[in-house]
Amino acid sequence: MSPSAPVPDGLDIDTERPTAARGYDYLLGGEHNFAADRDMIHKAMALMPDLPMQARENRAFLHRAVSVLAGAGVRQFLDIGSGIPTRGNVHEVAQRVAPDARVVYVDIDPVAVSHGRHLLADDPNTTVIRADVRNPEAILAHPDTRALIDFDQPVGLLMVALLHVVPDTDDPYGIVTRLRAALAPGSYLVVGHGTHDSRPGDMEHLAEISRRTPTLLSTRSRAEVLRFFDGFELIEPGLVWAPLWRPESPDAVPTDPERSINYVGVGVLA
Amino acid sequence: VTPAGQRPPALASPAPTPPGLATFVHAWAAAVIGTSYVPMTRTEQVAFLDVQAHRLVRALTTESFDAAVGYHVGTALTAADFTAPEALGRTTALMHERLLTDLGLADDRSRRRLGRLIETLAEGFARAVRDRTLDAQDEMRRAALEARVRIEHALRTSEARVLHAALHDPLTGLSNRTLFADRLSDALTDPPESARIALCFVGLDRFKLINSTFGHAVGDRVLALVADRMRALADEQGCAVARLGADEFGFLATDSTCADDAMKLADRALRRLAEPMRVGGREIPLSASVGVVERPAAGTEPADVMRAADISLHWAKADGRGRCVLFDADRNADDVARYALSAAMPAGLRRDEFTLLYQPLVELSHGRLVGVEALARWHHPVRGLLGAGEFIGLAEDSGLIVALGLRLLEKACRQAVRWQACTPYPPFISVNLAVRQIRNPGLVGQVAAVLDRVGLAPERLQLEITETAVMSIDDESLATLRALGGLGVRLVIDDFGTGYANLSYLCDLPVHGLKLAAPFIDGIDDLDSERARKRRALLETMVSVGHRLGLTVTAEGVETLPQAERLRTIGCDLAQGYLFGRPMPPTGVVLP
Repeated sequence: MSPSAPVPDGLDIDTERPTAARGYDYLLGGEHNFAADRDMIHKAMALMPDLPMQARENRAFLHRAVSVLAGAGVRQFLDIGSGIPTRGNVHEVAQRVAPDARVVYVDIDPVAVSHGRHLLADDPNTTVIRADVRNPEAILAHPDTRALIDFDQPVGLLMVALLHVVPDTDDPYGIVTRLRAALAPGSYLVVGHGTHDSRPGDMEHLAEISRRTPTLLSTRSRAEVLRFFDGFELIEPGLVWAPLWRPESPDAVPTDPERSINYVGVGVLA
Repeated sequence: VTPAGQRPPALASPAPTPPGLATFVHAWAAAVIGTSYVPMTRTEQVAFLDVQAHRLVRALTTESFDAAVGYHVGTALTAADFTAPEALGRTTALMHERLLTDLGLADDRSRRRLGRLIETLAEGFARAVRDRTLDAQDEMRRAALEARVRIEHALRTSEARVLHAALHDPLTGLSNRTLFADRLSDALTDPPESARIALCFVGLDRFKLINSTFGHAVGDRVLALVADRMRALADEQGCAVARLGADEFGFLATDSTCADDAMKLADRALRRLAEPMRVGGREIPLSASVGVVERPAAGTEPADVMRAADISLHWAKADGRGRCVLFDADRNADDVARYALSAAMPAGLRRDEFTLLYQPLVELSHGRLVGVEALARWHHPVRGLLGAGEFIGLAEDSGLIVALGLRLLEKACRQAVRWQACTPYPPFISVNLAVRQIRNPGLVGQVAAVLDRVGLAPERLQLEITETAVMSIDDESLATLRALGGLGVRLVIDDFGTGYANLSYLCDLPVHGLKLAAPFIDGIDDLDSERARKRRALLETMVSVGHRLGLTVTAEGVETLPQAERLRTIGCDLAQGYLFGRPMPPTGVVLP
């Protein structure tokens, strides 16, 4: 007689199944991952041995971008697809520039979120919420988000290595548009996005591997990535290969930046 | 574990930087930066390596050698996230290949010390990486566990919420009919031998009026307040309460001792609802009816007792609302029988089971048969011959009276035509009309068509309508009666004097006669009792009123010769009753 309850979204905390967040941690040299995650990364690295380099370039870009934004006066950050919060977190980078910077981390991986909450339990200026980017309204309306972020003030919206796991069928452009609608003028959109432009064959194999994870890889062309910035104005140097975005020093720029296979850019909302 | 120092530790004495150190640091940075992700800028990373290089140099050159420095540097590397195996491999290789050369040290002591430092650095690095990995794995297991707990909790909460929503009314928060039925079912499953249960179904009277008068927002507020009162009462009485329908609430008491208990509970519910209720600044008039069932729990079926409570509530409403009615099995049996009869009527009409009996109407002055009243009967296939009183009311309720009445009218008229062929003094035919028939706008046309079809002159047909029916006549049905009169048909008021009608209608209606109900006749032939005198006076007045208005007066229920004689003396025109003949088949009527 009792009706069956609807099963809440993403109940899967099967540690036997790899996730993007934990796989990314392993790529960055982290230890916060399970055998299934490492196995997936090993398979991917067999096809693309420099995968860890790409992850590092993405992560380094994120940190440079956050530093730039904090330097430009942004005091609140919404980091969607934040992953396992180890190895240099957004709030650490931001708070080095602005000690009062506040950060809301968002991830769909329940283990990543649980671990993040544990790590950040003592920091009143950070919070970790579990949400799906495909439901941006839930992220924006979440009481924890509202407690830390004042949407009347500029926000740094971070979507690095996230949108390339949102297939077109989930309307990634609509998602960004809906998020943009909530942002005050002076807010920034930070995007790092995998592409098949430079290494199409490798990326096809990688996409194949990603089909075994809950997060399917959907790389896009440069034009397609540019579209995410509709409504924003790209700041210098525009949409570029990850290592080329405001490198720290000429030493840090590799001779073949396109090997990073990630376009990155930062746009400001007029 | 020594905390990783990113800033140079305070030195005991400022030592001069060996000239080749910068070269070594540069080579070291080129080798290890990028081996794993380190959340520092390149400049910060170089500065960090520079600090570590200084520590190594000091260890190599100070008087008292401390091999633990290598261990601390290895630990510091991992703490700064230089955790990749390549970081260790390249570091030890570089130290081995060029540290002494870059520093310009070539002595044996330095070589021995370097060997020890490489050894302890590798130990420190490896141990720290292992500890860090084990810690991280612990953290992940705990995180996975917590995530699982959190999700299971969310699932349980969600399940509980869905279950609650399925079993409760969202407006009032009370249990809904499903949960009420569940509780009842539980109470009736293996009950103690002596247990008795009581159900009270409370229905708000004319609640739709509250909604339509004050709006649904007020209606909803009223329902919520009613629910609060019902909940409070249920709590006091220790019984369950639920919202069973839009304006219906139910109590279930599982500790009843007798019907009186249940009626008291019902009465309390009524009194709670009668207390003044204000919503949005206005007083909301509220009353309710309650249907009550009380019976032993053992052997009682949930569905039966729910139905009994529903029926009792229906009775409470039908009996005039604002009251409690206890379920009565006999009354229910009557209802059931009536319902069955009503349901069987359409088929009966199709099978032509309805017939007519005829009762003579006699002119008192000559004792001559001048008319007959047609009386409906039903040859019920199971229950035998049924009198009009047993089914006409049901036919009125169901609306079947319109079709049935027309059918019987035609039968009666055909019979009247048959009699015309048998005697030069054929009787007129008198047929009863029900309210529903008068309200039927097609009646006039139907009567005209019947008369036309069977070939009966309109003045040979008399239609009887009861005084009670007259009371409910509106402008439209008045027009119908006038049109019937216009056809030439006679209209008489049946059961005159029993309906509390305003007599002025006699001036407004196109009627031709009155029929005095049997109770007026009863007892008029008693000898000189006070009562008989009064009755005669009343009868004389009524006949006189009829005649003054130009109406013929018929007396019904005449059973004795003295009654007939008395009526004749008074001047009553026609009489009907057992004295002159019971209702009979057409062949039994003795024609003049």
